Amino acid sequence: MENGKPESKVIVVTSGKGGVGKTTTVANVSTSLARMGHRVVVMDLDIGLKKLDLILGLENRVIYDIIQVIEGECTLKQALVKDKRFPDLYMLPAAQTRNKDEITPEQVKALCDELRPDFDFIFIDCPAGIEQGFRNAIAAADDAIVVTNPEVSAVRDADRIIGMLESAGFKDIKLVVNRLRPDMVKQGDMLSIDDLLEHLCIDLLGIVPEDKNVVISTNRGEPIIMNNRAVAGTAFTNISRRLLGEDVEFPNFEDSSFWDRFKLLGRNLFSSK
Amino acid sequence: MLEFLKKIYSREDNSRTKANSRLRLVLTHDRLDMNEKIMETLKGEIIELIASHMEIDGVPDVRLITEGRHAALDISIPLKGRS
Repeated sequence: MENGKPESKVIVVTSGKGGVGKTTTVANVSTSLARMGHRVVVMDLDIGLKKLDLILGLENRVIYDIIQVIEGECTLKQALVKDKRFPDLYMLPAAQTRNKDEITPEQVKALCDELRPDFDFIFIDCPAGIEQGFRNAIAAADDAIVVTNPEVSAVRDADRIIGMLESAGFKDIKLVVNRLRPDMVKQGDMLSIDDLLEHLCIDLLGIVPEDKNVVISTNRGEPIIMNNRAVAGTAFTNISRRLLGEDVEFPNFEDSSFWDRFKLLGRNLFSSK
Repeated sequence: MLEFLKKIYSREDNSRTKANSRLRLVLTHDRLDMNEKIMETLKGEIIELIASHMEIDGVPDVRLITEGRHAALDISIPLKGRS
Protein backbone atom coordinates (compact mmCIF):
# COMPACT_ATOMS: atom_id res chain seq x y z
CA MET A 1 0.00 0.00 0.00
CA GLU A 2 2.98 2.30 -0.47
CA ASN A 3 2.34 5.63 -2.20
CA GLY A 4 -1.37 4.97 -1.83
CA LYS A 5 -1.13 2.42 -4.67
CA PRO A 6 -3.61 -0.40 -4.22
CA GLU A 7 -2.07 -3.81 -3.68
CA SER A 8 -1.79 -6.10 -6.65
CA LYS A 9 -4.17 -9.03 -6.85
CA VAL A 10 -3.31 -12.57 -7.86
CA ILE A 11 -6.39 -14.28 -9.30
CA VAL A 12 -6.51 -17.95 -10.30
CA VAL A 13 -9.04 -19.07 -12.91
CA THR A 14 -9.90 -22.74 -12.50
CA SER A 15 -12.66 -25.25 -13.29
CA GLY A 16 -11.76 -28.88 -12.65
CA LYS A 17 -13.12 -30.02 -16.00
CA GLY A 18 -11.24 -29.12 -19.16
CA GLY A 19 -12.74 -27.31 -22.11
CA VAL A 20 -15.20 -25.13 -20.23
CA GLY A 21 -13.50 -21.85 -21.16
CA LYS A 22 -10.85 -21.11 -18.53
CA THR A 23 -8.27 -19.84 -20.99
CA THR A 24 -10.85 -17.86 -22.96
CA THR A 25 -11.98 -16.25 -19.70
CA VAL A 26 -8.41 -15.44 -18.61
CA ALA A 27 -7.54 -14.03 -22.03
CA ASN A 28 -10.59 -11.80 -22.31
CA VAL A 29 -10.89 -10.59 -18.74
CA SER A 30 -7.19 -9.70 -18.61
CA THR A 31 -7.27 -7.99 -22.02
CA SER A 32 -10.32 -6.04 -20.99
CA LEU A 33 -8.69 -4.87 -17.73
CA ALA A 34 -5.55 -3.87 -19.65
CA ARG A 35 -7.70 -1.94 -22.12
CA MET A 36 -9.12 0.01 -19.17
CA GLY A 37 -5.56 0.96 -18.25
CA HIS A 38 -4.75 -1.56 -15.52
CA ARG A 39 -1.36 -3.26 -15.57
CA VAL A 40 -2.05 -6.93 -16.10
CA VAL A 41 0.09 -10.04 -16.44
CA VAL A 42 -1.26 -13.48 -17.33
CA MET A 43 0.64 -16.55 -16.23
CA ASP A 44 -0.01 -19.77 -18.15
CA LEU A 45 0.44 -22.70 -15.77
CA ASP A 46 -0.94 -25.31 -18.15
CA ILE A 47 2.56 -26.63 -18.68
CA GLY A 48 2.68 -29.26 -21.41
CA LEU A 49 -0.71 -28.27 -22.86
CA LYS A 50 -0.44 -24.53 -23.37
CA LYS A 51 -3.21 -22.59 -25.08
CA LEU A 52 -3.12 -19.05 -23.71
CA ASP A 53 -0.50 -17.79 -26.20
CA LEU A 54 -2.66 -19.05 -29.07
CA ILE A 55 -5.92 -17.60 -27.73
CA LEU A 56 -4.24 -14.23 -27.15
CA GLY A 57 -2.63 -14.37 -30.61
CA LEU A 58 0.86 -14.08 -29.12
CA GLU A 59 2.21 -17.50 -30.15
CA ASN A 60 4.80 -16.04 -32.54
CA ARG A 61 6.24 -13.72 -29.95
CA VAL A 62 7.16 -16.31 -27.34
CA ILE A 63 10.89 -16.65 -26.72
CA TYR A 64 11.33 -18.01 -23.21
CA ASP A 65 8.93 -19.86 -20.92
CA ILE A 66 8.16 -20.14 -17.21
CA ILE A 67 10.37 -23.22 -16.69
CA GLN A 68 13.35 -21.40 -18.16
CA VAL A 69 12.72 -18.54 -15.74
CA ILE A 70 12.53 -20.95 -12.80
CA GLU A 71 15.66 -22.78 -13.91
CA GLY A 72 17.53 -19.50 -14.29
CA GLU A 73 18.08 -19.66 -18.04
CA CYS A 74 16.57 -16.21 -18.43
CA THR A 75 15.17 -13.46 -16.24
CA LEU A 76 11.47 -13.05 -15.57
CA LYS A 77 11.45 -9.75 -17.51
CA GLN A 78 13.01 -11.45 -20.56
CA ALA A 79 10.32 -14.13 -20.59
CA LEU A 80 7.37 -11.72 -20.37
CA VAL A 81 5.70 -11.25 -23.76
CA LYS A 82 4.27 -7.79 -24.29
CA ASP A 83 0.97 -7.50 -26.14
CA LYS A 84 1.41 -4.76 -28.75
CA ARG A 85 -2.33 -4.09 -28.95
CA PHE A 86 -2.59 -3.44 -25.21
CA PRO A 87 0.49 -1.75 -23.76
CA ASP A 88 -0.44 -2.76 -20.21
CA LEU A 89 -0.80 -6.48 -20.92
CA TYR A 90 1.97 -9.05 -20.52
CA MET A 91 2.02 -12.84 -20.72
CA LEU A 92 4.31 -15.34 -19.05
CA PRO A 93 4.19 -18.39 -21.37
CA ALA A 94 3.97 -22.00 -20.25
CA ALA A 95 6.51 -24.55 -21.47
CA GLN A 96 5.12 -27.01 -23.99
CA THR A 97 7.61 -29.87 -23.74
CA ARG A 98 7.77 -30.11 -19.95
CA ASN A 99 5.53 -31.38 -17.16
CA LYS A 100 3.31 -29.79 -14.54
CA ASP A 101 5.20 -31.53 -11.73
CA GLU A 102 8.49 -29.92 -12.71
CA ILE A 103 7.55 -26.80 -10.76
CA THR A 104 6.45 -26.34 -7.16
CA PRO A 105 3.90 -24.09 -5.44
CA GLU A 106 6.81 -22.24 -3.76
CA GLN A 107 8.35 -21.39 -7.14
CA VAL A 108 5.02 -20.03 -8.41
CA LYS A 109 4.68 -17.97 -5.22
CA ALA A 110 8.18 -16.54 -5.72
CA LEU A 111 7.36 -15.57 -9.32
CA CYS A 112 4.15 -13.85 -8.24
CA ASP A 113 6.00 -11.94 -5.52
CA GLU A 114 8.46 -10.74 -8.12
CA LEU A 115 5.59 -9.61 -10.40
CA ARG A 116 3.44 -7.94 -7.72
CA PRO A 117 5.22 -4.55 -7.60
CA ASP A 118 4.80 -4.01 -11.35
CA PHE A 119 1.22 -5.17 -11.86
CA ASP A 120 -2.30 -4.48 -10.62
CA PHE A 121 -3.60 -7.90 -11.64
CA ILE A 122 -1.80 -11.21 -11.99
CA PHE A 123 -4.05 -13.83 -13.62
CA ILE A 124 -3.15 -17.50 -13.39
CA ASP A 125 -4.52 -19.83 -16.06
CA CYS A 126 -4.92 -23.10 -14.16
CA PRO A 127 -4.73 -26.48 -15.89
CA ALA A 128 -7.71 -28.84 -15.75
CA GLY A 129 -7.60 -31.49 -13.06
CA ILE A 130 -6.98 -31.57 -9.30
CA GLU A 131 -3.35 -32.67 -9.29
CA GLN A 132 0.01 -30.92 -8.98
CA GLY A 133 -0.83 -28.36 -11.71
CA PHE A 134 -3.89 -27.25 -9.74
CA ARG A 135 -1.91 -27.03 -6.49
CA ASN A 136 0.76 -24.92 -8.22
CA ALA A 137 -1.87 -22.61 -9.68
CA ILE A 138 -3.73 -21.89 -6.43
CA ALA A 139 -0.65 -21.56 -4.20
CA ALA A 140 0.01 -17.88 -4.78
CA ALA A 141 -3.54 -16.72 -5.49
CA ASP A 142 -5.45 -14.21 -3.36
CA ASP A 143 -8.76 -14.89 -5.10
CA ALA A 144 -10.27 -17.65 -7.19
CA ILE A 145 -12.69 -17.66 -10.11
CA VAL A 146 -14.38 -20.94 -11.04
CA VAL A 147 -15.58 -21.32 -14.63
CA THR A 148 -18.29 -23.82 -15.47
CA ASN A 149 -20.76 -24.72 -18.21
CA PRO A 150 -24.45 -25.41 -17.59
CA GLU A 151 -24.07 -29.18 -17.81
CA VAL A 152 -23.92 -31.86 -15.14
CA SER A 153 -20.32 -33.03 -15.61
CA ALA A 154 -18.88 -29.51 -15.50
CA VAL A 155 -20.98 -28.63 -12.43
CA ARG A 156 -19.87 -31.74 -10.58
CA ASP A 157 -16.20 -30.94 -11.24
CA ALA A 158 -16.75 -27.29 -10.33
CA ASP A 159 -18.26 -28.39 -7.02
CA ARG A 160 -15.20 -30.53 -6.25
CA ILE A 161 -12.89 -27.63 -7.10
CA ILE A 162 -14.89 -25.22 -4.91
CA GLY A 163 -14.59 -27.70 -2.03
CA MET A 164 -10.83 -27.92 -2.53
CA LEU A 165 -10.47 -24.14 -2.77
CA GLU A 166 -12.47 -23.73 0.44
CA SER A 167 -10.24 -26.22 2.25
CA ALA A 168 -7.24 -24.26 0.98
CA GLY A 169 -8.66 -21.18 2.71
CA PHE A 170 -10.17 -19.28 -0.23
CA LYS A 171 -13.08 -16.99 0.62
CA ASP A 172 -15.52 -15.31 -1.77
CA ILE A 173 -14.93 -17.73 -4.62
CA LYS A 174 -16.63 -16.36 -7.73
CA LEU A 175 -18.51 -18.21 -10.46
CA VAL A 176 -18.45 -17.60 -14.22
CA VAL A 177 -21.04 -19.52 -16.23
CA ASN A 178 -19.83 -19.92 -19.79
CA ARG A 179 -21.70 -21.08 -22.91
CA LEU A 180 -25.21 -20.53 -21.58
CA ARG A 181 -27.97 -21.11 -24.14
CA PRO A 182 -30.97 -19.10 -22.91
CA ASP A 183 -33.22 -20.66 -25.57
CA MET A 184 -32.48 -24.13 -24.21
CA VAL A 185 -33.01 -23.01 -20.60
CA LYS A 186 -36.38 -21.65 -21.63
CA GLN A 187 -37.31 -24.94 -23.27
CA GLY A 188 -36.39 -26.78 -20.07
CA ASP A 189 -33.36 -28.44 -21.61
CA MET A 190 -30.49 -26.65 -19.88
CA LEU A 191 -29.59 -25.85 -16.28
CA SER A 192 -30.40 -22.21 -15.53
CA ILE A 193 -28.22 -19.68 -13.70
CA ASP A 194 -30.42 -20.10 -10.62
CA ASP A 195 -30.02 -23.88 -10.80
CA LEU A 196 -26.22 -23.52 -10.91
CA LEU A 197 -26.16 -21.07 -8.01
CA GLU A 198 -28.39 -23.39 -5.98
CA HIS A 199 -26.00 -26.30 -6.53
CA LEU A 200 -22.67 -24.52 -6.18
CA CYS A 201 -23.61 -21.90 -3.53
CA ILE A 202 -21.04 -19.27 -4.53
CA ASP A 203 -21.42 -15.73 -5.85
CA LEU A 204 -22.00 -15.09 -9.51
CA LEU A 205 -19.37 -13.01 -11.32
CA GLY A 206 -20.47 -13.41 -14.90
CA ILE A 207 -22.74 -15.08 -17.43
CA VAL A 208 -21.30 -15.64 -20.90
CA PRO A 209 -23.87 -16.74 -23.49
CA GLU A 210 -22.93 -19.22 -26.18
CA ASP A 211 -21.60 -17.10 -29.05
CA LYS A 212 -20.12 -18.34 -32.31
CA ASN A 213 -18.03 -15.18 -32.43
CA VAL A 214 -15.79 -16.81 -29.81
CA VAL A 215 -14.70 -19.45 -32.34
CA ILE A 216 -14.11 -16.77 -34.97
CA SER A 217 -12.04 -14.62 -32.59
CA THR A 218 -10.02 -17.62 -31.47
CA ASN A 219 -9.31 -18.53 -35.10
CA ARG A 220 -7.95 -15.04 -35.61
CA GLY A 221 -6.07 -14.81 -32.32
CA GLU A 222 -8.03 -11.72 -31.32
CA PRO A 223 -9.73 -11.57 -27.94
CA ILE A 224 -13.53 -11.50 -28.29
CA ILE A 225 -13.74 -8.25 -26.30
CA MET A 226 -12.29 -6.49 -29.37
CA ASN A 227 -15.52 -7.33 -31.19
CA ASN A 228 -17.94 -4.89 -29.58
CA ARG A 229 -20.96 -6.44 -31.29
CA ALA A 230 -20.41 -9.86 -29.75
CA VAL A 231 -22.54 -10.71 -26.70
CA ALA A 232 -19.69 -12.81 -25.27
CA GLY A 233 -17.37 -9.82 -25.58
CA THR A 234 -19.75 -7.64 -23.58
CA ALA A 235 -20.10 -10.43 -21.01
CA PHE A 236 -16.32 -10.63 -20.49
CA THR A 237 -16.03 -6.84 -20.26
CA ASN A 238 -18.76 -6.88 -17.61
CA ILE A 239 -16.81 -9.49 -15.64
CA SER A 240 -13.78 -7.18 -15.63
CA ARG A 241 -15.88 -4.27 -14.45
CA ARG A 242 -17.33 -6.36 -11.61
CA LEU A 243 -13.79 -7.37 -10.61
CA LEU A 244 -13.02 -3.67 -10.26
CA GLY A 245 -15.91 -3.37 -7.85
CA GLU A 246 -18.40 -1.85 -10.25
CA ASP A 247 -22.03 -2.90 -9.80
CA VAL A 248 -22.88 -4.13 -13.28
CA GLU A 249 -26.39 -5.50 -13.66
CA PHE A 250 -26.78 -9.03 -14.96
CA PRO A 251 -28.82 -9.07 -18.16
CA ASN A 252 -31.80 -11.37 -17.93
CA PHE A 253 -30.84 -13.79 -20.67
CA GLU A 254 -33.83 -15.94 -19.93
CA ASP A 255 -36.16 -13.09 -20.79
CA SER A 256 -37.54 -13.78 -24.25
CA SER A 257 -37.35 -10.18 -25.46
CA PHE A 258 -33.60 -10.20 -24.84
CA TRP A 259 -33.19 -13.49 -26.60
CA ASP A 260 -35.18 -12.26 -29.61
CA ARG A 261 -33.01 -9.17 -29.81
CA PHE A 262 -29.90 -11.31 -29.58
CA LYS A 263 -31.11 -13.52 -32.41
CA LEU A 264 -32.00 -10.46 -34.46
CA LEU A 265 -28.55 -9.00 -33.89
CA GLY A 266 -27.00 -12.29 -34.95
CA ARG A 267 -29.08 -12.30 -38.12
CA ASN A 268 -28.10 -8.70 -38.92
CA LEU A 269 -24.44 -9.47 -38.42
CA PHE A 270 -24.76 -12.49 -40.64
CA SER A 271 -26.45 -10.67 -43.48
CA SER A 272 -24.12 -7.68 -43.34
CA LYS A 273 -21.03 -9.85 -43.85
CA MET B 1 -56.31 -26.45 -19.82
CA LEU B 2 -54.43 -28.68 -22.21
CA GLU B 3 -51.57 -26.16 -22.31
CA PHE B 4 -51.51 -26.12 -18.52
CA LEU B 5 -51.33 -29.89 -18.29
CA LYS B 6 -48.64 -29.97 -20.94
CA LYS B 7 -46.62 -27.49 -18.95
CA ILE B 8 -46.93 -29.48 -15.74
CA TYR B 9 -46.08 -32.68 -17.55
CA SER B 10 -43.05 -31.28 -19.36
CA ARG B 11 -41.77 -29.67 -16.18
CA GLU B 12 -41.53 -33.01 -14.49
CA ASP B 13 -40.13 -34.72 -17.49
CA ASN B 14 -37.76 -32.19 -19.05
CA SER B 15 -34.03 -32.72 -19.04
CA ARG B 16 -33.30 -29.66 -16.91
CA THR B 17 -35.40 -31.04 -14.02
CA LYS B 18 -33.71 -34.40 -14.45
CA ALA B 19 -30.25 -32.77 -14.41
CA ASN B 20 -31.09 -30.88 -11.23
CA SER B 21 -32.28 -33.93 -9.33
CA ARG B 22 -29.28 -36.01 -10.44
CA LEU B 23 -26.90 -33.23 -9.45
CA ARG B 24 -28.54 -32.77 -6.05
CA LEU B 25 -27.92 -36.40 -5.20
CA VAL B 26 -24.45 -36.73 -6.66
CA LEU B 27 -23.15 -33.49 -5.11
CA THR B 28 -24.39 -34.39 -1.64
CA HIS B 29 -22.65 -37.75 -1.87
CA ASP B 30 -19.47 -36.27 -3.40
CA ARG B 31 -19.18 -33.67 -0.66
CA LEU B 32 -19.53 -36.25 2.10
CA ASP B 33 -17.51 -38.87 0.27
CA MET B 34 -20.25 -41.44 0.74
CA ASN B 35 -22.86 -43.32 -1.29
CA GLU B 36 -26.39 -44.63 -1.07
CA LYS B 37 -25.19 -47.98 0.32
CA ILE B 38 -23.29 -46.42 3.25
CA MET B 39 -26.35 -44.29 3.96
CA GLU B 40 -28.59 -47.37 4.10
CA THR B 41 -26.14 -49.17 6.42
CA LEU B 42 -25.86 -46.12 8.65
CA LYS B 43 -29.63 -45.78 8.84
CA GLY B 44 -29.99 -49.44 9.82
CA GLU B 45 -27.29 -49.22 12.49
CA ILE B 46 -28.66 -46.04 14.07
CA ILE B 47 -32.15 -47.47 14.32
CA GLU B 48 -30.79 -50.74 15.67
CA LEU B 49 -28.76 -48.91 18.32
CA ILE B 50 -31.76 -46.92 19.52
CA ALA B 51 -33.96 -50.00 19.46
CA SER B 52 -31.53 -51.88 21.70
CA HIS B 53 -32.06 -49.30 24.47
CA MET B 54 -35.55 -47.94 23.91
CA GLU B 55 -38.79 -49.01 22.35
CA ILE B 56 -39.50 -47.41 19.00
CA ASP B 57 -43.09 -46.46 18.30
CA GLY B 58 -43.87 -45.81 14.66
CA VAL B 59 -41.68 -45.37 11.61
CA PRO B 60 -38.14 -44.07 12.26
CA ASP B 61 -36.57 -41.80 9.67
CA VAL B 62 -32.87 -41.08 9.05
CA ARG B 63 -31.99 -38.87 6.11
CA LEU B 64 -29.54 -36.32 4.80
CA ILE B 65 -30.62 -32.73 4.65
CA THR B 66 -28.55 -30.07 2.92
CA GLU B 67 -28.30 -26.35 3.28
CA GLY B 68 -25.96 -24.68 0.87
CA ARG B 69 -22.73 -26.61 0.77
CA HIS B 70 -23.38 -28.10 4.22
CA ALA B 71 -25.17 -31.29 5.06
CA ALA B 72 -26.69 -32.72 8.24
CA LEU B 73 -28.11 -36.05 9.29
CA ASP B 74 -31.75 -35.64 10.22
CA ILE B 75 -32.76 -38.38 12.63
CA SER B 76 -36.35 -38.72 13.69
CA ILE B 77 -37.21 -41.71 15.83
CA PRO B 78 -40.59 -41.77 17.58
CA LEU B 79 -40.34 -43.44 21.00
CA LYS B 80 -42.95 -45.32 22.96
CA GLY B 81 -43.78 -43.66 26.26
CA ARG B 82 -44.68 -45.39 29.53
CA SER B 83 -48.35 -46.23 29.62
